[in-house]
Amino acid sequence: MNRALKRISIAVLVMFLLLLINVNYLQGFETSSLSTRPFNSRALYEANQYQRGNIETADGMVIASTTPTNDLYKYQRTYTDGPVYAPVTGYDTIYSTTGVEHAEDALLSGNGSQLAFRNFIDMITNKPQKGATVQLTINSKAQQAAYQGLENILKGTNRVGGVVALNPTTGAILAMASYPSYDPNLLATHDGTALNKNDEALLQESPSPLINNATQTTLPPGSTFKIVTSSAFFAANATNNPSTQVYSPQVLTLPQTTNQLHNDNGEVCGSAGANGKTTLLWAFSQSCDTTFGNIGMDLGGGALNHMADAYGMNTNLNIPGVTTSPSQYDLPPSLPTTAYSAIGQFSDTVTPLQEAMFAAAIANNGTLMKPYLIQQVTASDLAVVSSTTPSVLSQPVSPTIAGNVKTMMEAVTQQPQGTAFAFNAANENGLVIAGKTGTAQNQLNGVSPNPDAVFTAFAPAVNPKIAVGVIVQGGGYGAAAAAPIAVSVINAYLATLGIR
Amino acid sequence: MPSPALGNQPPEEAHVGRRSTELSMLLFVFGLVAFAFANVAFSLKGQRPSTIFEYMVVFIAIIMCAHLALRRWAPYADPLLLPLGALLNGLGIVMIYRLHEVGRNGNPGPVNDSGVTIPILTLSSSAVILQIVYTVIGIGCFVAFLVFIKEPRILQRYTYILGLIGVFLIALPAFLPTSISGVAGTGAKIQIALPGLGSIQPEEFAKLALAASFAGYLVAKRDVLSLAGRRVLGVDLPRGRDMGPIAVVWLVALLLLVSESDIGTSAVFMGLFVAMIYIATSRTSWLLIGFAAFVAGAFITAELFSHVGQRFSVWLHPFSATNLPLNPPPGTPQPAYQTVQGLYGMANGGLLGRGLGNGQPWWTPLVQSDFIFTAFGEELGLAGAMALLLIYGLIVQRGLRTAMMIKDPYSKLLAGGLSFMLALQVFVIVGGVTRLIPLTGITTPFLSQGGSSLVASWILIAVLARLSDTARRPPPRPIQEEGLTQVVSVK
Repeated sequence: MNRALKRISIAVLVMFLLLLINVNYLQGFETSSLSTRPFNSRALYEANQYQRGNIETADGMVIASTTPTNDLYKYQRTYTDGPVYAPVTGYDTIYSTTGVEHAEDALLSGNGSQLAFRNFIDMITNKPQKGATVQLTINSKAQQAAYQGLENILKGTNRVGGVVALNPTTGAILAMASYPSYDPNLLATHDGTALNKNDEALLQESPSPLINNATQTTLPPGSTFKIVTSSAFFAANATNNPSTQVYSPQVLTLPQTTNQLHNDNGEVCGSAGANGKTTLLWAFSQSCDTTFGNIGMDLGGGALNHMADAYGMNTNLNIPGVTTSPSQYDLPPSLPTTAYSAIGQFSDTVTPLQEAMFAAAIANNGTLMKPYLIQQVTASDLAVVSSTTPSVLSQPVSPTIAGNVKTMMEAVTQQPQGTAFAFNAANENGLVIAGKTGTAQNQLNGVSPNPDAVFTAFAPAVNPKIAVGVIVQGGGYGAAAAAPIAVSVINAYLATLGIR
Repeated sequence: MPSPALGNQPPEEAHVGRRSTELSMLLFVFGLVAFAFANVAFSLKGQRPSTIFEYMVVFIAIIMCAHLALRRWAPYADPLLLPLGALLNGLGIVMIYRLHEVGRNGNPGPVNDSGVTIPILTLSSSAVILQIVYTVIGIGCFVAFLVFIKEPRILQRYTYILGLIGVFLIALPAFLPTSISGVAGTGAKIQIALPGLGSIQPEEFAKLALAASFAGYLVAKRDVLSLAGRRVLGVDLPRGRDMGPIAVVWLVALLLLVSESDIGTSAVFMGLFVAMIYIATSRTSWLLIGFAAFVAGAFITAELFSHVGQRFSVWLHPFSATNLPLNPPPGTPQPAYQTVQGLYGMANGGLLGRGLGNGQPWWTPLVQSDFIFTAFGEELGLAGAMALLLIYGLIVQRGLRTAMMIKDPYSKLLAGGLSFMLALQVFVIVGGVTRLIPLTGITTPFLSQGGSSLVASWILIAVLARLSDTARRPPPRPIQEEGLTQVVSVK
């Protein structure tokens, strides 16, 4: 019997070993994957026992804060001007986070490893743990102007629009507005049933308010792409300048096809007549499609593609706190498509962010700074936990070329043939804005019979402080629908600097 | 865990009483339990140290009674059994006190619809007092057993009566109305509700009775069971008339348990039966037959009873959409909810635990009974969970060691069977709540809230203590120098 007992003992030993191995696996290796599972009530409870940090704009406006509550979770997240800032803050539901709430979750919640020492001190001194404050680069006035501009023009339509404003010298995102938007307070509720209902309702809406149209929606750039084509033109030959005479026919006959390229209303380009030449500056400011179609075919798709890449297209930008879709310039397969791609048609698509980056690169003498949204994070004791140092994304053009493009962009608003001259003359008040309009034929999408309105600009033309990109789907002419929004954002921002 | 090569010859030291060792171990246990109590009190907002003091005094007094009883009636008993049982029992009371305080006296806890923190609804307000009363009853049974059963072989006389008692106890709830025997919220019919006093789960005692009965029968028939019979497919089968009675008792008990939807206990019961036959006959074929029968039984029950099949599904895919719908509308069944909450609790504990009173055990339904191990895992961490498992392992090891040492086959079988049963019970419930095996709800010995399990556990310790006392007792000394007939003192 003892032999059997020994075997039974071995079986018992194996059973206990299995139990021990299993609890080791559970509590030693599985802890993080289990506690980060959605709907882990313990983790949620834990996260809401502490006061989450605020999110503030650069000028000190608190756009996400917490207020004490009486329910299971001790604090309620509250968003100020929810729809205005929704694409910036994202949301913090009891189940998930997006936007800045997601990117800085560890520090906002106070659980980040950078805060471990402070939390330890707080524990010893019996102070409650508190999340860090995230300060953004957003300027509340510019943001408000951007959202208001979009809402005025898009409210009640099924069209979308987005605005991004950048500080050209640092890349700091001054405004990032999207329309339609939503109120993140609807998703911050602690009531799971209400949350489900609100979430379901938002998901049903079309166009989706949850998409950040400023950085995720890509639409054709139209004539604003002529900034890229001009840059490539200047880069191709050092003697090229805005006064260079370029072939600008009234009708450009495209090879390999029966298609012909016209200017906007079939008009002639400046003094070129039916089949002559005019200066590049004139062609740019009047936005002659035949001129740039021809230049594009001369340069070839490769050169345009190279320049588009240098401006940040075809690139995943990876901006912390911002979900972005890359703007696209596909290598055109033929000469006619090259001509179309050179004027921002064919398959070219950009985000409003990319539009702002075009202007920012020119404004910053050809150096494109990497856009960023999160300025710095400060712990509850006001010590800076992390801060963003501006960095260079690329150098698409030399300072000389940037100067040439700047001259042409000024002509758009300052010279009578400029596409934005009439509009600018009425709004100028002594400020010189350099810009480029775009009116992108995009009617095939069926959203609107009108073309998409695009505008990219920076101001002041001398010593620029702000670069803005605006796209209004189905807005019509760039100068009519998009430029006014850009100007109101510029004015709002420059006013805070004391320039206007 | 098994002591190597002890053989039939107990070592010399086995003849020493070791009661002082036991006492010092007990002092350590009292210190540990008092520390755990104080820990809970300081962690919770609603500190009530005065009540804790009373609880501690009663606990120490009753355990000391058991110690004195061992000194008087089983002086050679294994010195570890009582301290290990007392430690588990004490920690169980501490945890039930901790769970009892959830949502009371300003302590954190679950929140009802109107935002008010509430206690654990399945835990009555008198749970701590009752658990201490059960401890007193358990120790009372422990002492009574030692007093009345001086020689374990006495039990062998009652083989058939014990078998009948066992079957009767198991059958009792099945024939009572569900209002008395049904466990709320489950399909199980395993208890006898006594208004005001909680409930009795007769099966806890039936397991002990049937173990003793099996041991008696198997010892009487072990020779014929292992020698006479036919060989079928390379496996020796015993004759029907030898195997018949025990097979009938076993089958009846098993079917009754299954009909009462008590799958966990039937698994333990099955394992106990197979292990005892194996110990009695030393035939490996029995293990194979037993294992095959177990697997077949598991599959059949999984097919027959939807809730058993669901347990398998929860075990394999606890996070699947059907087992754990994400944020479902109220009233949607969430079969994996309890298991997953237990796992979350263990994960929340991590290596060192949240500390007693600092976790959130209230999320896990029935955390005070089936899932109490996860509450320990959450608040004492991996370190505490392993310590608890090692304590159980030590008790089982002491029992198996006793079985090895003791000479009488009946006692050997009883000690081996009971030790294995305890191990199996720990394996089934701890393995179930930690998702090592499918979850079947049985009590965690000594820790779970509830009287029957605690009292039965103490009786089990009493049997092992009595058996180890017999095993370690010095052989009777001759009281005359020589002669044909030796007269010995049997005390």
